[in-house]
Amino acid sequence: MLIEVHNLTKVYNEKRGLLPTSFEVEKKELIAIIGHNGAGKSTLLKMLAGWLLPDSGEVSVDGIDLKNRTALVRKVGFVPEAPNLFDFFSVEYNFKLFARLFQIPLLRIEETLEEFNLLPYRHNKIQVLSKGLKQRVSIGRSLLADPPVLLFDEPTSGLDFEMTKEIYRLLKSTHASGKTILFTSHRPEEIKTLATRVILLHQGSLVFDGPPREYFQSKIHENLYA
Amino acid sequence: MIRNIIILTLNDLSIAFKNKTIYLILFIPLFVFISLKFVDQKDANFRKTNIGLIQNEKYPPVIMKSIKAADNVFAISWLSHEEEGKRRLKEKKLDGILIRSEKEPQRVELLVLTKASFQTLAIVESFSALQVAVEGGSKNWISDIKPLQDSGIQKQTLPTWILMLVLLVSFIIAPAQVAEEKEKKLLLGLLQTPMRESEWLLAKIFSGMILIHLAVLFLHLLGKFDLGNCLSYAAFIGVGSFCFSSFGIFLGFLCRTQASARTLGVIFYLPLLLPSALSDVSRKLNTVAPLLPSYQFYGPIKAILLEGGGISNFSLEWIYLILVGLLACFLSYRLMKKRWLM
Repeated sequence: MLIEVHNLTKVYNEKRGLLPTSFEVEKKELIAIIGHNGAGKSTLLKMLAGWLLPDSGEVSVDGIDLKNRTALVRKVGFVPEAPNLFDFFSVEYNFKLFARLFQIPLLRIEETLEEFNLLPYRHNKIQVLSKGLKQRVSIGRSLLADPPVLLFDEPTSGLDFEMTKEIYRLLKSTHASGKTILFTSHRPEEIKTLATRVILLHQGSLVFDGPPREYFQSKIHENLYA
Repeated sequence: MIRNIIILTLNDLSIAFKNKTIYLILFIPLFVFISLKFVDQKDANFRKTNIGLIQNEKYPPVIMKSIKAADNVFAISWLSHEEEGKRRLKEKKLDGILIRSEKEPQRVELLVLTKASFQTLAIVESFSALQVAVEGGSKNWISDIKPLQDSGIQKQTLPTWILMLVLLVSFIIAPAQVAEEKEKKLLLGLLQTPMRESEWLLAKIFSGMILIHLAVLFLHLLGKFDLGNCLSYAAFIGVGSFCFSSFGIFLGFLCRTQASARTLGVIFYLPLLLPSALSDVSRKLNTVAPLLPSYQFYGPIKAILLEGGGISNFSLEWIYLILVGLLACFLSYRLMKKRWLM
């Protein structure tokens, strides 16, 4: 197993957070984590990314424990819903800063800029880019260190149709290159188009874990979303 | 580790350039320098005292004659009435007004803007010397006034300005920068790299120290002040900038947003600045101020700059400052590990 999650828990108050949750992820899976607002989707991803510390439970990614952050960041890349880039600086500067901290060759920046069609924008400040472009930069930055696992928190939130299609293309090509991807989503078409597996969270609990076709035919889907 | 600290420090300094913080670092010493240029004139001690006399007042003839004779010391301005004199006194066009004493007709009263001022002291000194010259006889009991801190107003106020600059960077700029990185999730982004929490923290402290040194250096370049014991001075600026940068970063960790960090910064800035800076003019403040870390910085800086002291005389003070800095650093590290308000 690539990712093992065992009794992972985070409770903010009585209603919100993630109740003890366990699941496993194999290599090259593309998992959609779905659920209503406040179901615990983002909390789960943020804990896997090390942004939030769990109250209890254990997580290991490729045998590395969640507590070993400096080693784990080489295995897991995280793309938050709102891109957290240094606005005052250029696309290239943002890539260079991360490349230097990861101690990876600067040649990798050229590859990533080309891969994500960001070469024309390399000298542009982040603050002048559209949300879609910022999202592309954010995804590119998370892939600089070539981690085997990628986490996306609502990657197409607030994007127009064209940009959404572009993000789908990037997710598919990244998955095709052998990455394991977990993403949160509200959009049924996104789940149908991309996911190989669905994890449904409801009020902090895992209530469904299976293939998308099985999910869309289930009573759970009807009860929750119909 | 050192490589990451250098990368992050340079990143912080680049941010300071990009978000115009650096202008604040340069503008404030410039403002201080220009203000001091206006305050302190090199020939202030030799300037004539501008004394006001009321036209219809019956002054004792001996006093009038003496004042008129001492035209190299006093410049006389004739006033139509006392109210005009008070107005001109407030406008700083006069240094003092002589009014005939109603109780003792052979003596005069001196009306000044503030009693406790260098100007009032200079007027009293001049009149005392004039009286001795005219009446002869016994000399003044005090033959001369020799100050312990023999320097102009510029240098006298320099320790206060230095304290203000150090606290400004530490409590107004540093907490807001930390809170901004938290608010925009930039810190969490950096924690997605193999960088250690301690490296980020040290880089933040170093960038704060560099900004403080830049501001102090710029003020000295403008003013060309005599530093006294240069090494001791630099060492104390270093220790103070470490202590207060760490303190400011800790405050930044207590806030979720930039706005709240600025407010908290000001809440700490003024109580640390004012009691220390005003401790010389108030006995009560002089009792309270030593409890503050800012005074443990201000006192030695003042002694080094004005009295020629050295860092060896202030070992307790710099140990105190380092301990406060280390404590703030440790608390920031714990909050960062807990992802406090991130």
